[in-house]
Amino acid sequence: MIVVSELRKQFSVRGNTLVAVNGVSFAVGNSEVYGLLGPNGAGKTTTLRMVMGLTEPDSGWVEIGGTRTDTDATGIRHQLGLISTNDGVYPWLSVREMLMYFADLYAVEPQIAESRLAELAELLAIGSFLDQRCSTLSTGQKQRVTLARGLMHDPPVMLLDEPTRGLDVVGSQTVFQFIELLKARGKSVLLSTHRLDEAERVCDRFGLLHHGTMRYEGTLGDLREQTGKTHLVDMFIELIREDRVGQATLGKSD
Amino acid sequence: MQPSSIASYMANGRLGRLCLKELRESLRDRRTLITLILMPILVYPLLSMAMQRLIVGTASGLNADKTEYIIGVKDEQAGSLVASALGETALAIRQGVRHSIEIRRPMLTSSVTKKTATKATVAENTGGNNAPQSDTADRNPEVRENASAIDPQTAGFNIVVAEGISLQQALDEGQVDVAVLQVRSESVSLGRNGTYPAYQLELSFRDADLRSEAAMLEFRKAMELVNDTQSLQFRGALPPAVRMISTATGRKVDAMASLAGILPLILILMTITGAVYPAIDLTAGERERGTMEAMIATPAPRFLLLLSKYVAVVTVAVLTALANLLACWITLSIGGLGRALLGEKGLSLLAIVQILPLLVIFAAFFSAILLAMCSFARSFKEAQAYLIPVMLVSLAPALLTLMPNIEFSTLLGIVPLVNILLLSRDIMTGSPQALPAFAAVFSTLLYAAAALVVASRLFGAESATAGSQETWSDLVRRPKRMKELPDLGDLAVYLALMFPVFFILTNLFGQIDLSIASKLWINAGILLVLFLIAPALVAQYRRLNPRSTFLLGGWLGDSGPMGSGELASGAPGVSHGAGLFRGLGVLCGVCLLASGLWVIAFEVLKVLSDFGFGAISIDRTEALEEAKVQFASIPFWMIFVTSALVPALAEEFFFRGYVLSAFRNRIAPLRAVLYSALIFGLFHVINGSVLSLERFFPTTLLGLALGFVAIRTHSLWPGVLLHAIHNGLLFWLTRFSEKELSEWFGSTNQHFPPIWILASLASVACGIGLVYFLTRQRFHENAT
Repeated sequence: MIVVSELRKQFSVRGNTLVAVNGVSFAVGNSEVYGLLGPNGAGKTTTLRMVMGLTEPDSGWVEIGGTRTDTDATGIRHQLGLISTNDGVYPWLSVREMLMYFADLYAVEPQIAESRLAELAELLAIGSFLDQRCSTLSTGQKQRVTLARGLMHDPPVMLLDEPTRGLDVVGSQTVFQFIELLKARGKSVLLSTHRLDEAERVCDRFGLLHHGTMRYEGTLGDLREQTGKTHLVDMFIELIREDRVGQATLGKSD
Repeated sequence: MQPSSIASYMANGRLGRLCLKELRESLRDRRTLITLILMPILVYPLLSMAMQRLIVGTASGLNADKTEYIIGVKDEQAGSLVASALGETALAIRQGVRHSIEIRRPMLTSSVTKKTATKATVAENTGGNNAPQSDTADRNPEVRENASAIDPQTAGFNIVVAEGISLQQALDEGQVDVAVLQVRSESVSLGRNGTYPAYQLELSFRDADLRSEAAMLEFRKAMELVNDTQSLQFRGALPPAVRMISTATGRKVDAMASLAGILPLILILMTITGAVYPAIDLTAGERERGTMEAMIATPAPRFLLLLSKYVAVVTVAVLTALANLLACWITLSIGGLGRALLGEKGLSLLAIVQILPLLVIFAAFFSAILLAMCSFARSFKEAQAYLIPVMLVSLAPALLTLMPNIEFSTLLGIVPLVNILLLSRDIMTGSPQALPAFAAVFSTLLYAAAALVVASRLFGAESATAGSQETWSDLVRRPKRMKELPDLGDLAVYLALMFPVFFILTNLFGQIDLSIASKLWINAGILLVLFLIAPALVAQYRRLNPRSTFLLGGWLGDSGPMGSGELASGAPGVSHGAGLFRGLGVLCGVCLLASGLWVIAFEVLKVLSDFGFGAISIDRTEALEEAKVQFASIPFWMIFVTSALVPALAEEFFFRGYVLSAFRNRIAPLRAVLYSALIFGLFHVINGSVLSLERFFPTTLLGLALGFVAIRTHSLWPGVLLHAIHNGLLFWLTRFSEKELSEWFGSTNQHFPPIWILASLASVACGIGLVYFLTRQRFHENAT
């Protein structure tokens, strides 16, 4: 369960103030996949970082499983899993060593970690190369190792930051299956992406961010009612067209 | 980062596994292995070859040089004999018997020179031609001119007579290169061909001195030439014309010190090289591979993450140091280079055993610096861009240590890198000094701790903020909220900054010629500034609660929970009368402790000096006696204020206030007391410009007692009182002569009589007991 309330964060870049996130609120229930959508620079990553407690918000708060992140920023991370685009693997460690290392980082007891590793090896089909060095793995294998890494401490909340960027169809498919798996296990999933077609497929509810503010929020049905458009892509194009700077950004956004 | 979460990472060997992961990552990487194994295998033999070349070059390759070796003789007669012995060689060459030798072998000789050395004077030597025993001139008059027309491009010998100085002394002082101790000549019959002169020489040269050895080599070659020539002439049927015995004498270290300085420099450079790659790989490399974010997102405390990386980097650095030391030792032993560089014994095993810990300490220091530099680099390239200037900057002072006349002075002891280099050099040449050595080790450890703190802050800050501009300001940013206790990291940084200042100031004023009264005041001033005013300012800036940090809550401290600092003294539910009773009881306890502790401290010092530890040398005893006389002329109130009251206030404020509180912030109270007492003891080892290692034990003991009183009473003041009484009593004693004292104590061997010691122990025990029981209830309230 994630509750985000009135988050606000501004950065000063060379003397200019940039409001990255401006009063964003939403909530993600258990067994729910929430899509945090928006073009590049909409404030998705900053919001995720504030949810993780890596960035301190200027105002507003985040609650994970009933605990505010500002009261126990470190403890809250036991509840959170994170998988992002740029995630890599340790080339010189074996898959098993790497996953057990992360279990230790989350202070998971070694016996529990062992059994969880066995379970994940089966679920994500990484059993055959558990003792292979990560540098020898294919891209797809590395990706599955990364997904397993996010589940080693069995967090109730999973944050996915652009998990499919740069992946082919097969890779993306693995991620979708993974999200289904998380959902089936009752986890709250917060998915940040600008791949609107994918979001439509896997998310239960959506929040459309633009210039740091939440423009539309709800299920696909709600959004269709609010905007009068059928697809997320059209909603986005509309959003951007409203904007003064529309012409400039149109070409860039997917 | 609450303590409980750190504890869960420390438990079950988890920290060990975290370190193991970093080590695996480093040691499985081929690039680490190359610096670790391949480099030492290649560098030392190559270096050895280069050095051999250099030494051989100096010894025989100076033909192009106009090197003139100075041969010392006893008197003019001996000088003439030597000259004529060597003169034969000149003849041989000029006669063209051995052209091949002439090309290689420059000749020489008996040119008349006046050496204006201080003690040796030159014989007016007219050369071998005039020597009474020599018939050279008679046989070959035309050669005489040739012989004196020496090629200015060649090396030659200059024969001087030592006057007013013994030959050996002249040799030891480097005024002559080779000393001819004995020279005899006899006529050997050639039958019908007449006679020829045969010479016997006894020579001495300086062992392991390039110039002296080279001179010896030249001399020997000249002699061989004479003999070769003769045996050619007479087909080897005769005994050699010149025979010599040579003995090596005590070595002259100074000339070699600069070359010996190369070894530590190379060892240190290699250790650095070993650490550089893992440091970059485990920080910037982690970012580049995209594993950093996932790691930072875990609840593992960042300090521990950095610590595990630090352990790995230090381990690799130490392994590199070990491999290099081993390779260096083997090369030096096998090649005989060790003897040439470091004297007869070469690189002794003892020196290796001493240098290794130095390299470990240095690795600890430099690894922390490297991690701090790399912690905010985003990529390998960026990290390298940061490191190269650092390496170059540190190389410049390092090269300075190669200069032959650099002495490892006290003040250089606190210059990072340079201190370890000079200390290793002195260990290799076998003459390390105590105070700079202590300063080097202690300051390097403090710098390492501080650098590690800086690294962990940067490592933490770098991912927490989006832009890297903020990373440095994070380090010194003033906290927004007030804190009860100081950060242990702040303490490390403060100690690392304060120690060099403390060291320089105490040394400076120890050497300046001032009256003892002004020295006392200056010393008190230094204590006040460094131990009271500066920590107070730091606390003010870091928004520390002064009441909880410096235990300023009144005689019995604050009665609220530990560190709350909110409540005034007089806990709820405790009557005013009970508070007064307890206050008086603690006062009694402190007085009992004070009356016994100084005796024990004194006795510990005595016992230590009986065992030869920190025995006071003669010049120090004299200085002490002098100080005693001067002390007597100063009013006691002045001594009390400057040496008891001010130190008590300032040192309690710092050691029991800031230091103890910083430790209490992280670890259990008793261990905090122990650590703060150790730091207290270490600071007292530096006594002006003298290292008083023997003071460590009694001072640490006092620190333990003071720490105990401080955490039990939760107040600074009982400790200040105890400290002031303790110091006051010891200084009061110095006002009496030893005779008076021994009459007083009824003992003549400067030890206290057993009954005094027993009484003191009992008094200390009672004092501790009293403080313990009177504060028991409060202490448990505080602890919970």
